[in-house]
Amino acid sequence: MKDQQSYFEKADFQSDLPKQFLILFVGIVLVLFEVGLAQWPFFYGASPFLSLIFMYFILIYHDELMPIITVFIMGLVADLLMSDILGGRATAMMLLSYAMRMGILRLQQSEFMDLWLGFAVSCAAVTLFQLIVFSVINLAVPAISPLLFQVGFTLILFPIGFFMMFSVQRLLQTLQVTR
Amino acid sequence: MRASDKIKVRQRRFAHVALIIISFSLMFVGKADLVAMRDARMSSNDFLAPVIDFVSAPIRGVETMADGIRTVASLRAENVRLQAENDLLQRWRRRAEILESENQQLRSVTGAVSYENRRLITARAVTAPGGSFAHTVLIAIGDEEGIEAGDPVITSNGLVGIVYDVGRAYARVLMISDINARIPVMLASSSWPGLTMGRNSEYLELAFLPAEARPAIGELVLTSGHGGILPAGLAVGRVERVDGDYVQVRPAVDFRNLGYVSILIGGTEGVDRSDLSQDSFFTPLPVEDDKRLLEGLNASGTRQ
Repeated sequence: MKDQQSYFEKADFQSDLPKQFLILFVGIVLVLFEVGLAQWPFFYGASPFLSLIFMYFILIYHDELMPIITVFIMGLVADLLMSDILGGRATAMMLLSYAMRMGILRLQQSEFMDLWLGFAVSCAAVTLFQLIVFSVINLAVPAISPLLFQVGFTLILFPIGFFMMFSVQRLLQTLQVTR
Repeated sequence: MRASDKIKVRQRRFAHVALIIISFSLMFVGKADLVAMRDARMSSNDFLAPVIDFVSAPIRGVETMADGIRTVASLRAENVRLQAENDLLQRWRRRAEILESENQQLRSVTGAVSYENRRLITARAVTAPGGSFAHTVLIAIGDEEGIEAGDPVITSNGLVGIVYDVGRAYARVLMISDINARIPVMLASSSWPGLTMGRNSEYLELAFLPAEARPAIGELVLTSGHGGILPAGLAVGRVERVDGDYVQVRPAVDFRNLGYVSILIGGTEGVDRSDLSQDSFFTPLPVEDDKRLLEGLNASGTRQ
């Protein structure tokens, strides 16, 4: 009886917190990388949403590792560093994560092409939300072509990012099994 | 589902909603431009800028390498081009020296004021605009070096923008291409005043030109000095397209390759007013309409 109790105590202490911190760290590094990428003349004023690809992948396959606070912090850091409307991207990303969590089972069972399509819709939704908020607050509409470039390039990078993250996930799983 | 699980789910939902509300409120609080928010923003920039610098080091390295390969590949052609440019610049230099001397003589004759009380300081651009909603750059210089909000930021080619947030070691520059940037300018050849407005794109729009103004393609656009923040005569860009009332200006500075910038510190008025009284410096227009400005015309432009 005593052994069984200690077993359950140990199980209760199994926490995802260290992994969640790791995901937060990677997310912030990706945001910083996004900001750094803008220094390339090619990505001037329209660096791709790498952090969004990361968030999309993690929410589909490891949603327990990405609590909403992680999404909030990632969005807020991006807003701060890009001097965008504070909370604009954070809100858009949180709303997206909320929507994704509602249909998580369907997403987990989807083919890659469906996931890509879903990501295209998500990416467009985040940009549109930011555009609407920006236009309402500033009473001005910014140039649309950089936005289209940003979304378009993010969509092109999505399969590469997804494949890379899938490979890392496989590698981590293999290491876990071998250990 | 156990009762404790239900409570957990409820707490999680509450946290979701609360965070979304906080984030949504931040958008409006941030726009309100509160001092506390500005300070918090700049403090976080001060904290994060060295990290961005570290993370973007490999990106800069790759860019430098690609640039090096391009340079080596076109070395011969580049040399010929530079020699031709050098000849041209030497001719321009001689002409500039003659004009400078003439300008000084004319200034001394007319008693015109100059704005030589500004100090130039150079800083490195740490970031470039990454999003489509704001065109700002973070520069590695702060209030420790005496820079203040409103100081103009330039390169050898022309105006980049204005410092608008200053932290301890970093400052944020609002570029002239930002949608919130309005620069008082004038057309260099015809001297018509106007205002350039950023569009968060690579072009600026020249607006508020008088109806009589006929901007020519390729005409230089300079800061007019109106408003006192920017000195007059800084190159802003060149007129690239005129389509009815719409005038498009290409900035003089290529913002995509912004490595180092210079900040003009001090003399925010742009004019040395130390020995000028306020009365003689600024003379308002006559209030009475019937007062004669020019022979035969009053202030409302009516012949009398």
